[in-house]
Amino acid sequence: MTNYCGYMGKVLVLDLTTKKTENYIWTDLDREKYIGGKAMASKILYDNLTGSETPFGPENLIVIATGPLTGTGAPSSNRFDISSLSPLTGITSSSNCGGNFGHYLKKAGLDALIIRGACEELNWVEIDNGEFVFHDAADLQDLKCGETQDTLQKKLNEAHGRQIRCGMVCIGPAGENLVRYASVISGERAAGRAGMGAVFGSKKLKAITAAGDAVPTVFDKEGAAEHRKKWVNYIRSHPLTGDQLPKLGTAGLVSSMQVHGLLSTRNYAKGQFEEFEKVNGETLAEELNVANNGCLSCPIRCTRRVPVEGKTVKGPELETLGLLGGNIENADLEQICRWNYELDELGMDTISAAGTLAWAMEANEKGIWKSGLAFGEREKLSQVFDDIAHRRGIGAELAEGSRRLSKKYGGQDFAIQSKGMELAAYEPRRAVGQGLGYAVANRGGCHLNGGYLVVLEGLGLNIDGQTPRGKADLCMVMQDLMEAISCGGQCLFTSYGVVPGFMIRNPNGLLQRAVNAVVPFAGPAVRVYNKIPEVACFNIPLIPYPTELYYTTGMKMTLGQFTRAGERSYNVERAVNARFGVSAANDKLPKRLTDAPQDPNNPKTKVPLEQMKKTYYRARGWGKNGLPGEKKLRRLGIR
Amino acid sequence: MVTVKLFGTLRLDSGVREFTAEADSVRALYPQVLAEIRARKPDSAVTEKTLRACLVAVNGQQTTPRARLKNGDVVYLFPAVAGG
Ligand code: SF4
Repeated sequence: MTNYCGYMGKVLVLDLTTKKTENYIWTDLDREKYIGGKAMASKILYDNLTGSETPFGPENLIVIATGPLTGTGAPSSNRFDISSLSPLTGITSSSNCGGNFGHYLKKAGLDALIIRGACEELNWVEIDNGEFVFHDAADLQDLKCGETQDTLQKKLNEAHGRQIRCGMVCIGPAGENLVRYASVISGERAAGRAGMGAVFGSKKLKAITAAGDAVPTVFDKEGAAEHRKKWVNYIRSHPLTGDQLPKLGTAGLVSSMQVHGLLSTRNYAKGQFEEFEKVNGETLAEELNVANNGCLSCPIRCTRRVPVEGKTVKGPELETLGLLGGNIENADLEQICRWNYELDELGMDTISAAGTLAWAMEANEKGIWKSGLAFGEREKLSQVFDDIAHRRGIGAELAEGSRRLSKKYGGQDFAIQSKGMELAAYEPRRAVGQGLGYAVANRGGCHLNGGYLVVLEGLGLNIDGQTPRGKADLCMVMQDLMEAISCGGQCLFTSYGVVPGFMIRNPNGLLQRAVNAVVPFAGPAVRVYNKIPEVACFNIPLIPYPTELYYTTGMKMTLGQFTRAGERSYNVERAVNARFGVSAANDKLPKRLTDAPQDPNNPKTKVPLEQMKKTYYRARGWGKNGLPGEKKLRRLGIR
Repeated sequence: MVTVKLFGTLRLDSGVREFTAEADSVRALYPQVLAEIRARKPDSAVTEKTLRACLVAVNGQQTTPRARLKNGDVVYLFPAVAGG
């Protein structure tokens, strides 16, 4: 139970071995500290994992968590999070998804579902108003994600004698076959990263459906309506969220990344792809995009819809365009759309699949591992992806990811991963703050968990991407803010609005140039805020999240407390990962990014990681070992 | 002769992808870009101010609107939004 609105007040543990459920105690104090979503999941993992568990063991937990704003109609708030011990990285990880499962999980009466144990045979689980029914899934075995969801919808309609409105999560063949970067799919959207689909597969859990009649309450309906109206107007008037994202999607960043030398090319050997114009957002919009789409309650609608095999399907995001484009030397946009669809259907993360592929192409070229895959290869790839999903031939090896492959065959210097997770398409040698973020990110080489500094270093603001100055402090504040935003259930793209529109509209203006020049020097000021965020004992319109949380839940929160909640989330995730062996030694990047300048004539074009890491740990109040100590955890109220 | 390429929402909104022009600096290009856009879309909301706010790259490298041009250069214009 809870005294706060927005939440359903119920967290359940589902034991797949005994097929029983039990309540999990999650108090209002926990809600105040962790808000929801991934922070809640991290705390649950922290309280229940000892460090002895293995990703594919029945003792591993899956936590599917919503935020208090999920399903309440707040803008872009329909996200949910899946967290678990990752088979790709061996540490805990989370994967955020915009599919409709979170919305319906709340309708079924739950804020979060904790899954433990394992089924004996492949099953799917139906949640109906908080009741759980197990179904045999033998007939769903090896079905792709689209067909799985269509079949389940039919089964539910038939069983209940009416059209059932529900949310689903499911895995494809890749999850069933324990591909280490298998995704979980909800509708057309993926919880793509970190192999959550393989954990489902190890538990022989093909899918979960959720339906129900519960509706989350809103604390101050009038206040919330007024606030949301203003916020949606702001989102629509902002140059990024109101113009660029709707018109070009995330793909709109490709051209800009090219100019800034940030577009991963040829397995990150370069930051510019000669044929980028064939695979950029503009060409996608002009030649293939047939409609925009969006997650529930989102005014931005950044999703592209493209034709593939006579169907209209979800188009590729920027990361996929970069990694299945220039990074493997492919300039065929239609192929990227097709592969993107195939990978989603097989239930596989496009980023890790493409990153592993690029490593294999370079390894093949260097004679380290003769896979027969060459840069520029297009013909074979659909088959290769199918082989990975079914662990056939070289697919069985590629299913292991680039870290394991490079440990086995060599070529670790160009395995573009951190903590085992392949990097997204932002080449960090021209945006060194993003490089720091990739290295220190709790879940591994993730651009978002890393703080997404690239948005300040060229793709939004235009601060010097080459200087390490100020980056550690900026990285921390961005990580903490994004963490808190995500915990509420909102999409991180709304955070683009934090950069005032006028800063973006005219980057050549005097004020804008001055701000860009000064921001790296603001490190000490940012550090003060990072240390005592409570100095922000107020809220500001540019960061409307705490105000929205108040109107929806009734939980009073200042900007400072909100940032602190983000920091708490980041630390609890770090603390549980410490039990699985994470320390400063794991916060690293491949040598290609730290030792080899992108431009051989400019030695600055590499990531000065060790230097930034020291400042980052100091900023975080962590020890030299890169970990929060007992005192820090107590101060944050984690212990 | 230089080649001018438009990107981002500037390209989508104007329908102009690329054209060739004569100019010895990026700034000197603006009236020609405007003319090209107007020829394609007479009611376009793009003004010279819009163009002055654009990020500029010459031959793939980011530079300023003050940059000089030489024969054969390729100029990219990004509305600031596409820079971010
Ligand atoms: S901005 Fe895009 S990803 Fe985010 S909620 Fe909206 S449609 Fe979904």
